[in-house]
Amino acid sequence: MLLLQVVVGGLLLGAIYALFSSGLTLIWGMMNVINFAHGEFVMLGMYVALLVVVWLGGGPAAFGTAAAIALFVLGVVVYAGLIRHVMRGPMLAQILSTFGLALLLRYTAFWIFSANFVSLPDTSLSGTINLGGILLPVAQLVAGVVAIAFTIALHLLLTRTNIGSRLLAVSEDRSAAMLMGIRPDRMQALAWGLAGCAAGIAGALMATAYPWSPSVGETFGLIAFVVVAFGGFGSVPGALYAGLIIGLIQAVSAFWFGPIYKDIIVYSLFVALLWLRPQGLMGKA
Amino acid sequence: MKNIPTNWGVVVLGACLLVYPMIFSGAFYLDIGVTFLLAAISASAWNIVGGYAGQVSVGHSIFYGFGAYCPLLFYQLFGWPPMAGIPIGIALSIAVAILIGLPTFRLSGHYFSMATIAVAELIRIFTGTWDLVGAAIGLQGPAVARGWWDLTFRGELPYYYIFLVVLALLLFITWLMEQRRFGYYLRAIKTNERAARSLGVPVLQTKIKALALSAVFTSIAGSLYSIKTGFIDPESGFGILVSVQMVIIAALGGAGTLFGPLVGALILIPLQTATNTWFGGGGSGLTFILYGGIIVLIARFEPGGLFDLWDRIAPKRWRRGHAA
Amino acid sequence: MKRKPFLFAAAMAATTLLHVGNPAAAAETVKVGITWPLTGNAGAAGQASKAAAELVAEIVNNPHPELGDLPLAKGAGLPNLDGAKLELILTDHQGNPSLAQQLTTRLITQDKVHVMLGAYQSSCSFTATAVAERYGIPFMVGESAALNITGRGFKWVFRGTPIASDYARTYMRFFDDMKKAGKKIDTIAIVNENTDYGTSVAESITEEAKKANIAVAIRIPYSASSTDVSAQVLQLKDKNPDVVIFISYTADSILYMKTMKNLDYKPPMVIGDDSGFSDPSFVPAVFDVAQGVMNRSAWAVGKPGSTTYKINEMYKAKTGRDLDDTSARNMQSFFALIDAINRAGSTDPEKIRVALTQTDLKPEQLMMGYQGVKFDDTGQNILAATYLIQLHGKNYQLVWPEKAADAKLQWPMAGWAK
Repeated sequence: MLLLQVVVGGLLLGAIYALFSSGLTLIWGMMNVINFAHGEFVMLGMYVALLVVVWLGGGPAAFGTAAAIALFVLGVVVYAGLIRHVMRGPMLAQILSTFGLALLLRYTAFWIFSANFVSLPDTSLSGTINLGGILLPVAQLVAGVVAIAFTIALHLLLTRTNIGSRLLAVSEDRSAAMLMGIRPDRMQALAWGLAGCAAGIAGALMATAYPWSPSVGETFGLIAFVVVAFGGFGSVPGALYAGLIIGLIQAVSAFWFGPIYKDIIVYSLFVALLWLRPQGLMGKA
Repeated sequence: MKNIPTNWGVVVLGACLLVYPMIFSGAFYLDIGVTFLLAAISASAWNIVGGYAGQVSVGHSIFYGFGAYCPLLFYQLFGWPPMAGIPIGIALSIAVAILIGLPTFRLSGHYFSMATIAVAELIRIFTGTWDLVGAAIGLQGPAVARGWWDLTFRGELPYYYIFLVVLALLLFITWLMEQRRFGYYLRAIKTNERAARSLGVPVLQTKIKALALSAVFTSIAGSLYSIKTGFIDPESGFGILVSVQMVIIAALGGAGTLFGPLVGALILIPLQTATNTWFGGGGSGLTFILYGGIIVLIARFEPGGLFDLWDRIAPKRWRRGHAA
Repeated sequence: MKRKPFLFAAAMAATTLLHVGNPAAAAETVKVGITWPLTGNAGAAGQASKAAAELVAEIVNNPHPELGDLPLAKGAGLPNLDGAKLELILTDHQGNPSLAQQLTTRLITQDKVHVMLGAYQSSCSFTATAVAERYGIPFMVGESAALNITGRGFKWVFRGTPIASDYARTYMRFFDDMKKAGKKIDTIAIVNENTDYGTSVAESITEEAKKANIAVAIRIPYSASSTDVSAQVLQLKDKNPDVVIFISYTADSILYMKTMKNLDYKPPMVIGDDSGFSDPSFVPAVFDVAQGVMNRSAWAVGKPGSTTYKINEMYKAKTGRDLDDTSARNMQSFFALIDAINRAGSTDPEKIRVALTQTDLKPEQLMMGYQGVKFDDTGQNILAATYLIQLHGKNYQLVWPEKAADAKLQWPMAGWAK
C-alpha cells in the first residue's frame, strides 16, 4: 500500500515536471536555443500566483490564469527584446544571454520579494481524498491532472491546428516557411509565449503545495533539462513521458534507497540513456 | 606562422601581468589578481574544446573538481604534500574525458552539453554522500605549511606567479596547437563537421584529444584553486556555477580565440569584485542584477564576444582577422 | 596576434576604483568586519543576521538603560575606549568559500577591521577563519555547525554558539526526563539535510543516542530544497518511531509538516532542530497542522517587559519579523565579542584576544538561555546551552527545562487535531 502511495505521489509530481519541461522542449526543439532562465519563469509564475491571492484574493482558476498570461507576455518580451537578436550570433551567445537573464530575473525577484520563504495561503484546494487507502492531497491531485491536460493540449495545438503546423514549418525550414507567407518572427515569439505560459501555469500549480524563495528556479531548471533530454529535444509527448517517468523514479528510489540517492539514480539512468539511445525517448535521431 | 616577438600587444599584456603585484601590492589586490589568473586559466582550458572545437561543455567542473579534490584528499588520507595529488587529478580527468567523449561525441549539438551537465551533477551529488572524500562538509588542506612543498603560503604573491606561469604555459600550448594540423582539424570540425569528415579529418579522435587536453588544464586549475584556498567541497568543486563561469568568461571575451578567455576574465573578474564590493554589503541582490544585466547586454549587442568589438573599433594596423 | 592594451588598461582602472571603506575613519571607532551569505541559497539567514548585527551596533552605540544587565547597553559606545562607537563593515560572500577568503582578506588589509564576525556556512567559516588566523585578527564564529572549526589549533578563532554535540546531549537529557515522567521513548528517527549542518547534528545525535540506549529506528539524509518529501514521510510511517527529529532548512521543514498532514502520519512527537523550524516563515505557513511541534532554541522572547522581549520589539520594528534563534545566537556571539573589546580597553588585536580568552559572562548578562559565555582552549564556548520550545497556537513557548518553562509540555503532540 505504501508503495502504491509512493507511485501515485511520484506520478502527480512528474506531471508538473512534464508541464514546465514541455515549454523548454518547445523552444529548444524549435529554435535550438537552451533557455537557462526557464526555471526562473516557473519561479515568477509562483510569485504571480502569490500576488494575485494576496492582493485580489482570487482562487486557483484566477491565479492560474494570471500566471499563464503574465508569463506568456514575459516570454514574448524576452523573445522580442533579446532572443531574436542573439539568434543571429553563435550558440555561446545564446547560453550567455539566457544565463544572464536567469540571474537578472532571480535577483530582481530577490530584490522585490526578499530572500524569505513564502507559501501560498490556504486555498479552496486544501484537504485530502482517501481513495481506498491511498491519500491524495487535493492540491496535488488537481495540479497533476491540470498539468497533464495542459501538456496534452499543447501537443494537440502543435499537431492538430493551423497555428501548430505553422510553428512546425518555421522550425523545420525557416526560409521555406517564409516563402509560404508565414512570418517566422511571430511564430517564434508565439513559441516563447507558450513556453512561458506552460512554466507560469506549472509555477502556479506548484505554489499551491510548496514553499519557495527566489532561488527555487535553479532546482526546476535542472529538472527541466533532464526531462527534456530524457524525452528528446523538441518532443512534447517525450517531455510528458519523461516527466512522469522521472517523477516516478525519484519517488520510488527515494522510498527504497533513501532520498539522497534519488538524484544519483536519475542522473545515472540519464547517462546510461545517452549511451544507449542518445536522441532521448521520443527524439528524432 | 605568425611572429610572436613583433606583437607588441602580447608584450605589453605580459609586462602588465608581470608587474601587477609590484604596483598593487595589497593582499586584497593580489587576491583579485590570483582570482583573475585562475579564471583565465580555467576559461582558456575550456576554450580548447568549447571554443576551438566548438563542443560546448557545460560540465567542465568534472575535471576542475577532480583536480581540486585530489591534492587535499591525499593530504588528508596519507599526509602527502598537496601537489602530489595534481598528477592523479590529471590522470583521472583524462580517463573521464575519454569515457564521456566516446559516446557523446558521436552525437551532435546539445547532447554533448547535456551529457556534461548530467555527469557533473551526478559526480557532485555522489561526492556529497561519500564520507571518504569529506561528503558534504568537504576537505581541508594544511593549515600551516610543513615546508615549501606544501605550497601553503602566508601571502598571495607566490600563488600569483605560479598561476601566471601556468597561464603562460597554457596559452603557449594553445598557440602551438593553433599552428599545427591539429588546430586546423579543430576549426574544420567546428565549421562543418560533415565536410571535415569527408575530407578525411579523424573527427572523433580529434575531438577526444581536444577534450583530454582541455581536461588536463582544467584539472590543474582545480588543483591550484584547492591548494590556494586550502578547502574544497562538492559545490565549489563540481558545482554547475563553476562550469558556467568558464563558459561565460570565454564567450564574453571571444571563444575560439587565443586571448579571448583572458579578455573575458579581465572584464568579468573586476566586474564581479567591484559589484560585490560596492553593493554586496547592502544585501539587496543588486550585485547579481547588475552582473546579470551586463552579461545580457553584451550577449544582445556583441554576440561574438568583446573580441569582435575590438576587431571593429581597433585601428586597422592592429587588427588581425581571426578567422579561427 | 591580438592586442588589447586598451581593454587591459580599462580593467586596471576598474580595479583601482575598488578602494572601499573609509580610509579617514573617525578618531575612535571599533571596526567590525562581517561576512555573511546575503545572497544565494542561504540569503534569508544572512539577511536576518545582518539586521541582528545592525541592531547590536544600535544598542551599543546609543544609551539603552532599559535593557538591564546586557553588557554595554547602558551608555553610548564602549566606556573603556572613551565611548568609541562600533562601525560595521558588511560583506556578502554568497556562500562561496573562496569569496569568503577574499572578503576577509579585504576587510583585514584594506578596511583594517579590528575584529571579524561570520560566516554562517561551515565551508566559508573554514576559509575565512584561516585568513584571520594568518593576520592575527580575532574572528568570532557566530553560528557554524561543523565541529572542527574550533580545535584546529587556531589561536584567533572563537565560537559563541553551542555546537552539534551540545544539542545532541540536550536532546538526550530531555528524553531522560520524559522517560522518568512515564513517556515511551524507545526509538527515534533522524531526518537530516545532508550538508555540513544536517550531517554534523545528525551524527552527534546518533552517537549520543547510542550512549543513552535509545535505538535510532531510521536515519534519513536527504538533499535540501527537495520538491517532494513524501518518500521520507512514508519511510517514517513504516518505521513508526516514538520521536522524529528533523534537521532541515525552511522550505523542507514546511514541506515535511504539510506532507505529514496530507499522508496522515503523526508520530507522538516531532522535534525540529532549530534552523527551518525557527524561520519566521515557518509558523504562519503551518501552525494549523504543526501544533505541539518542539523546537530547539536558545532564544525565547520572554514576557512583556523583559530584556529579551524589548530586544525582539526593536528587531521587529526594524525588520517586521520576529527575531529567530539563528540571528539571536549571532547577536549573542557579537555581544560577547564587544564585551571583550571593552575589557581589553583597546583595539589592539592581541589584547582583544587575551580578553576573549578571559571572557566570563553570567546568565543574567546574556540575551540567550546559555549558562554563560566562557571559551575553552580551542575557542569554543563551553557554557552554551539550549532550551526546548513547543508550538502552542501561533507561538513557540518555552517548555523545557522545566525550571525555566513558560508553559506546560504537551505530549503527544496535537498536530492538526484541535
